[in-house]
Amino acid sequence: MNLAVDMLIGAGLLVLAWQTISGRSLFRGIVLFVVFGLTMALAWARMGAPDLALAEAAIGAGVTGALMLVAFRRLVRIRPDQCAQPALRRSRLAVPVAVLAGGLVGVIGLAVVAVERDPALAGLAVTEALTDSGLGNPITGVLLLYRNLDTLLEVAVLLAAFLAARTVFGEDESRPPTPARREVPLVGALLAIIVPLTILIATHLLLAGSREPGGAFQAGAVLAASGVLLVLAGRLQPATALSAGPAFGLTLGLMLFSLVGLAVMAFGDPLLALPGLWAVYLIETAMMLSIAMTLVLLFAGASGLRRSGP
Amino acid sequence: MIDLLLPALIIFLLLNLAAGMVRVARGPTAADRMLSALLFGSTTVAILLILAEWMGEAALRNVALLFVMLAAIVSLAFFGMPRDDADDGDEP
Repeated sequence: MNLAVDMLIGAGLLVLAWQTISGRSLFRGIVLFVVFGLTMALAWARMGAPDLALAEAAIGAGVTGALMLVAFRRLVRIRPDQCAQPALRRSRLAVPVAVLAGGLVGVIGLAVVAVERDPALAGLAVTEALTDSGLGNPITGVLLLYRNLDTLLEVAVLLAAFLAARTVFGEDESRPPTPARREVPLVGALLAIIVPLTILIATHLLLAGSREPGGAFQAGAVLAASGVLLVLAGRLQPATALSAGPAFGLTLGLMLFSLVGLAVMAFGDPLLALPGLWAVYLIETAMMLSIAMTLVLLFAGASGLRRSGP
Repeated sequence: MIDLLLPALIIFLLLNLAAGMVRVARGPTAADRMLSALLFGSTTVAILLILAEWMGEAALRNVALLFVMLAAIVSLAFFGMPRDDADDGDEP
């Protein structure tokens, strides 16, 4: 039974991936990609990686699908002829690249299978050490206690990505989304329910992250989803200037993490050693806000956001 | 008994997904594809809830919760994007 479930999910993923890129129309490919994300979350869940399933659900269902749909709408507006064309153009390189990539995956897979498994000593040591720190979720523990520099740099990379996007694309005058002139009644009701719920769930994921799957990245992605909703509904409008609020949000995670990481050196601890559970919550909260702000700004394709309407 | 029933339910739901794929693949209209993708979201939620019970992973319920909440975003991106009156004709 287990095998049947896994085979079905695996086969479904392969078929979906193939259909997504070989589709006859661009829109069909986008919808299939959304479905692919759903199935991928199932696969992560089945592999016992709920952290990844959470991230896939938040990013895949929340941001990527919407991003592609918005891009498609824009393509319809500026290049109507391209939408009707098949999404895939055959290239002579396609088959060799596919064969080589397949070979590479096969070789790596065989190598992994052939490797003798040591008993996971490092993993056991980490789990033991984590019980002292009060962090029940090993992933959050490893991210913040052992790989803290990596985590700090990941937040820095997000900021760098935002800066790079702004540098490359600049300000685009013809950019949608356009202001909401006609308020659709259901959208207002939907937002009134979903946005507070999203904030609640993001906080829940953040707090749960110290004990069970969750954490700053998942919570940030969920929070970003509520921002994306507001942008989609026209409640938040892209602005050309970066105002103080978004700028603060963008850099908060990096600043607070670095500050706490440096401050502990005054007490003789090594760089980035976290002094306690309160510091974990503080830094995770700041990181969540930064991640959410970066994702929303990247989605809006803007330097800043302003509230629209009366 | 329950150990057999839960995976059987999951397989049934997965096969439902496969059947629904026909609507996504054939269309014919964009709304057909989008609606079936949204219904897939509901089926995925059901599968995740059963998986949570079967595998004893309570955290999967959080994943299901996220899917329920965030399904709204894709549909809003599809329908509800505010447009000004000039470009009403760009329904995908």
